[in-house]
Amino acid sequence: MTSYKRHDTTNPFGNKSKYFYLRDKRKHGHQCCQDCGTTNCAPGCNQCDRCRDEHKHHDRHDQHNQFEMVEVDPNATVSQEGGQYAFMDQESAEIIWVKESCDITVDSRDTQIGVSLQASLQLAIALVLNIAIADSGRSEAVSQDLMQYFNADQINKQKIFIYNTKDATVTTRDTDLAINIQVLLQLLITLVVMVDIL
Amino acid sequence: MDSNSSNHNAFPDKVVKVMIDDIFRRNNVKPEEVKNNISNEQKQMLQEMVEDLREQVDQFNKGEKNTTKSDE
Repeated sequence: MTSYKRHDTTNPFGNKSKYFYLRDKRKHGHQCCQDCGTTNCAPGCNQCDRCRDEHKHHDRHDQHNQFEMVEVDPNATVSQEGGQYAFMDQESAEIIWVKESCDITVDSRDTQIGVSLQASLQLAIALVLNIAIADSGRSEAVSQDLMQYFNADQINKQKIFIYNTKDATVTTRDTDLAINIQVLLQLLITLVVMVDIL
Repeated sequence: MDSNSSNHNAFPDKVVKVMIDDIFRRNNVKPEEVKNNISNEQKQMLQEMVEDLREQVDQFNKGEKNTTKSDE
């Protein structure tokens, strides 16, 4: 029951790679029956008894796998996104449960500041490139090349569960975000030095 | 104003430099040409912007070090 809830609550943050993994998992699950050798394994398939059992079995397995993936996924770094226009995809999601507790202070400001800081840095880099290279076609090409080097997807999910507690302070912080920001700043500064603005 | 002032960089400076240089080269962007494109005013503005961002990042990173919280 709890795992069901967990699955449902993570869904609204809709993350493409997660779905990809899930579907992938399911496909593996369906290359199934060794007895009758069916490869066409629609869930209603009735080729043989074994097949039917397998399906029931798989159904349960699938669900199990889904939950597993959801829990494991936050550590995965997915590169090679199709979208060319985002330098870095950073997704930060926080879920905080407070239950049967009082006087709890939750501070997630740090993460929010970080996200906006990252956006400003990306904007600044695009700005410098656009100003420095008057020809808009080429400036776009240059930013695309840069993006290809720095294309990183990061997904961060924090779940905090506070139970039966009094007078606690929780501060959340996304360390990956801090690294991203450092990299972007370095890129911006180097860029600016190279085109001789500083 | 050197690029090393925020010293704990994620990558070595040279790496980033070579990378940008390579990208410029591949797209026929010459630094000399770029310099002509930017007026002094724009230079001033960009300079301020970069300084500003750098300060903000420093601030952000400092905040990180202070938050070694112990929970009760």
